Parts: sequence; structure tokens; C-alpha cells
Amino acid sequence: MRVAALIALVCAFVASAMTCAAAAPPTSLDVTAKQVEYFSNRFIVTADGNVRVRLSDGTVVRGQTFAMDLKLNRYLIAGDVRLDGPAVHEVGAGFAGYPDLDRSYFLPAAGTPDRWTYFGTDWAHPQLGREQPGDAFFIPDLSAERPYIYANGVRIIPKTDALFDVARVRTAGVFLPVPRYVVNFSPNSHFYENAFAGARLDVGVPFNGSEHSLSALHVRNDAFNGTYLAFDQHFVWEHDYLVASVDPLTQEQRQYNLVGFKKLSPNLEARFFGQLSQAQAGIINRPDNAAGFFEIQLNAALRHSGLSYTQDNYYQYLLGIAPNDPDLFRHREHPTNGLLSWTGNETYLGRGSRLRYRLRSGIGFAHDVNGEGGYPNLQPGPPDSVYHFAGATLYAPVIPLPHQFSLSLSGDKQRTWFSVPHHVDLSDARASISRTDVRLHLNYYLAYETRSTGDYWGGQQLAAYPAAGDVIVTPFGTYTGQSAFRGFATSRSISTALVYTPTPYFALNLGLARFYDSPAPVPGAYGQPPVQFTGDLRVRLAKQVQLDLTRSYYFNFANERWTPQFGIQFSP
Amino acid sequence: MRHLLSLLAALAVAALALPTLAQPQPGPLLRFSGQLLDVRGGYVYFTTGDAFKVVDNVRLADYDTGKPTTLQPRAKLFARAVFDPATKQVVELDLTAHRVAPDTAYQAVKAYAVAKSTVQPAPEIVGIPLTGKEVPVSFVVTVPPTTPLGSDVYISTDASGWNPQAIKLDRIDGARYRAVRRFASGTKFVFRVTRGSWNSVERNESGLEPAPHPFFVRETDAQSASVTVYSWSDDRPNAPQAAPGAIPTPFNPNPFPQGGIAPAPRVTPPGGFPTARPNPFPNRPPGG
Repeated sequence: MRVAALIALVCAFVASAMTCAAAAPPTSLDVTAKQVEYFSNRFIVTADGNVRVRLSDGTVVRGQTFAMDLKLNRYLIAGDVRLDGPAVHEVGAGFAGYPDLDRSYFLPAAGTPDRWTYFGTDWAHPQLGREQPGDAFFIPDLSAERPYIYANGVRIIPKTDALFDVARVRTAGVFLPVPRYVVNFSPNSHFYENAFAGARLDVGVPFNGSEHSLSALHVRNDAFNGTYLAFDQHFVWEHDYLVASVDPLTQEQRQYNLVGFKKLSPNLEARFFGQLSQAQAGIINRPDNAAGFFEIQLNAALRHSGLSYTQDNYYQYLLGIAPNDPDLFRHREHPTNGLLSWTGNETYLGRGSRLRYRLRSGIGFAHDVNGEGGYPNLQPGPPDSVYHFAGATLYAPVIPLPHQFSLSLSGDKQRTWFSVPHHVDLSDARASISRTDVRLHLNYYLAYETRSTGDYWGGQQLAAYPAAGDVIVTPFGTYTGQSAFRGFATSRSISTALVYTPTPYFALNLGLARFYDSPAPVPGAYGQPPVQFTGDLRVRLAKQVQLDLTRSYYFNFANERWTPQFGIQFSP
Repeated sequence: MRHLLSLLAALAVAALALPTLAQPQPGPLLRFSGQLLDVRGGYVYFTTGDAFKVVDNVRLADYDTGKPTTLQPRAKLFARAVFDPATKQVVELDLTAHRVAPDTAYQAVKAYAVAKSTVQPAPEIVGIPLTGKEVPVSFVVTVPPTTPLGSDVYISTDASGWNPQAIKLDRIDGARYRAVRRFASGTKFVFRVTRGSWNSVERNESGLEPAPHPFFVRETDAQSASVTVYSWSDDRPNAPQAAPGAIPTPFNPNPFPQGGIAPAPRVTPPGGFPTARPNPFPNRPPGG
């Protein structure tokens, strides 16, 4: 009796497991055909000629043509369709898969035509005559599109990526052959987190991927390394990610980077950034020199505020130093710093008031036994430094005024106290008035802003900012009055901008800013151009191509008029 | 005799006409144009999912010229099906490889579609009438008041491969940026707000990373997507930049960084602090 009950239980478990399995939609599609094409503008994969689609449960669908809209997550196999699996052998005219609905729609052609619907991968029990979406068997019109990729086959992981085998990828108008190419179309932006330093050029060749990973080789160019190869590996989950990179892969001085993000709970998240810099002749050779930098950050949401802790650790000498090296005494140095900061939520100043405020405060420390890189005017700095700060922002985002005008106001003030006895005050006040003319498609604003920075040393003020070197010579001239600087600076500016957008396909943005800075800027040494003009023209040339032209004029500051080149960007 | 001959002639004409009268009169032929899925088992299947009975000796013709064609019906081809209303069968298929205009006679011929089972409702299919017309979508982003006036702000979407500079916004006042783009109704995407790179993205009021904003383009004349950014991920008061050697840092709390609006302090130590070592600069890591 017990055995019978056990067998019944096992049977029930197996049956339920099979039911669960049958209810799940396919997790991948392996497509082979005479020709596979990918249309990047439409996120559509097509295949023609001897099409064979293997679903993740082993069911095989054959036909003459295949099309899948990767974004809508639906696919179609049409023409001489054969549906074969352990529980199904059917002939039909069309087969449409809708993984999001967990349905597959089939037009059987063995006898009298009909419309069948399969639930999940339960191929043994078609639902006869069940209503089907009106466009289930529509073939997308791609007559105006050009393929981005040609391939022999593709493995599609719904909502994530498509792995093209023996692909030819259109690059600068030429189809370049690559053994494998991955197109990631996931709505999860974490696949695009970057673990590389900046570069002038970066062309990624993703060659492997899965539901939770992406591997890519990059061809990069920067001023220091020239042109080189780099590699990065992404691991991605719904809320978390991990990115590792080697950059450059082919040069002697390379960095190993690791970026991580973990959402520990809806109100707590952690970030990690690690960087190992090495001088290493080959990728498997022992490095000659190595240094590291690691940062961890924790962010927490409190009831009406947020709390953040950031800590940085620097490892300047990871390989030790030769006994006769003058830097020997510093080989154990391990500078570190941390900051705990609190930021209050947006709060209205009073009932019915348009003014809002946010408060913030924090405490931090820095430790370096040798005072490395200490205060520029206190070399070397003290081994330990503790500081704390408090600040507030008071603002009124948009106050409507008559005649389509509006007013924005904001003010920000922060004071930071350091254990080395001085404090730094930062303040920023801004007022702007703007108007939107809907009839003329114009929008313009005028803003006045004043920013100030003050480094207060009390009785040590003149020692910290001594009156020395009144003259400064730069390639652009000789400038005097430098000794007047005592650690206090202000910048006042008047800015105006006009935006003209007659259609969504055209935008012209013209901006002019005048700065009154104290101390006055010195070309080639410090400061910003007193007058700056910027023009930005954006025109949509085609459905997927927009031209963005930007250029600035600096009114001969540091012999610079127009910025050296146009900023041109093509974007979808 | 003449009357007899007239009667005989009339009888002969009537006899000749009778078989014709006995046959049904052919009505006007119906035509339906569409894209083919397949022709199989005596039926032609269109991408509407409908199957129509085809006569055995169906005539295959060129769509443009009406002359016989060498094209064979297959998936992706376009065809004009000519129906005989009397038999409700397709008597002619005019084939072409180019897209043809939709035929208004679909409702008339839909009754000729053959299906073995009666239609059962499927509750999971929710019909939303969408024509795919272009809808202007206005993105309005309210930025933190401390965002510099000259900052560039962008929208990044999954439809643009998460390019952090996909849609550039224009500042319209002291607090807001805006851009208008056209999308086909029915378009569904998610987006995030950036300052041009993934190192500077929006944060919510608590300083946490918000989930991407979902957006669905409805069948309407215009739509708006409004987002408030409370802070940027690289906005960290007094925190060092996440890179060695960046200034200012707590080791180097220089409020006047190089390239800023004021000269850096001169390197003259005030009294009471150790004097500088001969070589005070650390051995920088390669590329650091």
C-alpha cells in the first residue's frame, strides 16, 4: 500500500514536472538556412531556403522562410512547414510563435485547412479553431531596408541576443567576415556597462553571449597606446551585473578592470570598481610593475533620505621595490579614504510654497602614512585627514508667469571643515527666465548665475596663499596680478540660449555665455573663455540617421576662435 | 411553307439557346490581393491566415501582364486570387515578387475561407487598434538644480542599443530639458537619462539607481514622457573621483583644481609642517 502510494506520488510529481516543462515557452531558437540576414534598423532576423528552426525543447520546424521580430518577440515560419517533435508530426502552411503569450499558432495543411493553437510546448494537444492574432502570419516588409549581417545560421535567445555563425557584418559599407557575431537587443541596460578607460575610437566585436553573458573583443585607439585590442566580459542579471575587462590586450602597459553592481534589497545597493595597472611584456609574463585601485560604494534608501558610503583604496607598489631604490621606504604605503554622506529628500518649504529644499551632510577621512600627494601648499600633507561637510539646496524649479514666461530659481551652499585647520565654502545661485512660443516653435531663456569658492585658513591665510610670483608668462602673453589671489574666487555669468524646433526632424540650438571671473582667466594657465558661443544643429537625414553638428566660438581666447573641428555625430 | 420554315428556325434557335439558359450565369469575378504563405493540398494560404480552395487547373499568370508566368506560388510572393463566386474557388492566381496594394475585396472573399473548426475566442489576445502612425513624443526631463547650465543631457533607449547619447535634449529653462521624437504607435521601449556616458546617469531621490522608464506609444496625436532626475551618479559632494590621480581628492583637497576658474595655490609650505621630500611624487602606476 505504501509502495503504491509512493508510486502514485512519484507519478504525480513527474506529471506535474512535465506539465511545468510543457508550459514554458522556448528559451532559444537555433536557425539554419541557405541565407540568414539581420536588419538592424528593424531588429528583424530573416532566413530563406531550407529553413530549419530547432526550439529549445527539441521540436524542429522546417519551412521555406523565417522571420523574427526581436523586439516584439514573435517569429514566423512559412511555406511547406513541417513540425516535428517527439509528440508531433504535422504538415502546414505557416507556424507563428508568440513566446510572450506562451502560444504557437499553426495552419495545418494535411487535410481541410484549420487554425490550431499550441499552449507552450504542449505539442500533443492543439486547440482547434481557437482565435489567432490577426497579423500572426504577416511577413515583415523589408524592401526598403539593407541587411546589416549575412550569416549561415543564428541562435536566438528571446529578449536577449542573437548569435550569428559565419557572419559578414557591414562595417563602413563593407561586409567584413567574422566567425561569430552577437547582437544584443536586451532591454537590460546593464549589458552596456563600460569597464574601459576613454578612447578616441572603440569598435566592439561581440562574439559570444547567452541570457546572462556577453563577451566582446574591441579595437580601440587612444593617444597614449595608439591602436590596440581590448577584451571585456559581461555577466548580467535582472538587477545586478559584473563586467571584467583587459585594456589594452596587446600593449605592454595594461589595466585589468572589474566593475560590479548588486542590488541587495530594494533599498540597498552596492557597487565595486577594481583596477589593476601593470607593466607587463606579455599577457602571461610576470609584470615589471603593478598598482591597484579599488572602490566600494554602498547606497541605502532611508525613510525620507538616502545614505551613501564610499571607500577608496590605493595600492601603489604591489610588487615591492628593489633594495637600492630610493622609494623603498614607501613600498608599504596604502592610501585610503572614505566618505559617509547623507542627502535628504526634496521637501517643500511650507504648505502651498513653490520653494523646495534638500539638505546634505557627511563625514570623511583620508589616510596616507607618507602624506602622498598632500596639499599642494603643504607638501607633504599630514598622514591623516578628517573632514565633514554640510550643505543645502533651495530651489523653485519652474514658476509660471504671464505670457508663457516662466521663472526658475536655485541656490546652493556647502561648507567643508578639514582637520588641517581650514574650511572651504562653495556657493551657487542661479535665476533664469524662459519663454516658450509654441506658434513659432521657439524656446529661449536667459540665466544669471554666480558661483564662489573660498578656502579659509584664518591666520594662516597668507601662508597658504602667499603673495609670490605676481607675473605669469604663457605662450599667449604675460599676465600680472597673480599675487592678489588669496584663495577666494567668484564666477558670474549671463547665459542665453535659443532653441528652434519647427519639426521633430530639425533642431537648432544657439547659446551665448558671458563669464566675469575673479581672478581673471589666464590663457594657457587656468580659467575659461570669458565669451563663449555654441551652435548645435540636428537634422534627421533618414529614418535611422540623424546628423548632429556642433561648433563653438571662443572669441580669440588663447588664440582660439572656432573650436578646432566640427563635432559630428550620427545616431539612430 | 414560309411559316413552317420560320417556326423550324425559331425552334432551332431555342434549342441552341436552351442549354445556355440551363447553365448558371457567371457572376462578376472577385479578386483578392495579398502575400502568399503557401499553396498546398488544393488550397492557397495567405498571410491573413486564410485558406481558399483552388480549382484543379488553376491558371497561373503574371500579375502585371496577365500572361502565363513561370513563377511558382511560394511563401513571400504576392498574388491576386481570382474567385469564381459560384464555386467560391480560386480559378486564377496572378503572381508577382513585388508588393501589391491591399485589395478592398477582402471582406467579400473572407466568407470563402475554409476552416474545419469553428472559431473559439482566445481571451489572451487583447486587441488594441494600432495603425502604426507616427506620434510625436515629447521627452521633458527635470534635472537637479545644481546641474551646470551648459551640461548636455541625453535619453538612452533599448531601441538605440543603449547608446548613452541616443537622443540629445535641449535645455529650455533653468530646470528642464526637452526633445521631441516621432515613434510609430504601438512602439514599446524603455529609456534612461544620461549626461552622455554610463558614468553619469540618473539617480532617484534616495540616490539609488532607478529602473529604466517604460514607455508605450499609444494611438494618439501627441504624447509626453516626463522624468525628474534628483541627482547624477557622478554627483558626490566631496567624494573623490573614481580614478587614481584625479583631483581634487581628500589627499589633495585643492578647491581650485587645474583648469578651473582660479590659479592653483603656490607650493610654499606654511610653518609647522614637514618640509617636502626631494621626490614627493609617487611612482605613478602605468597608465594611471
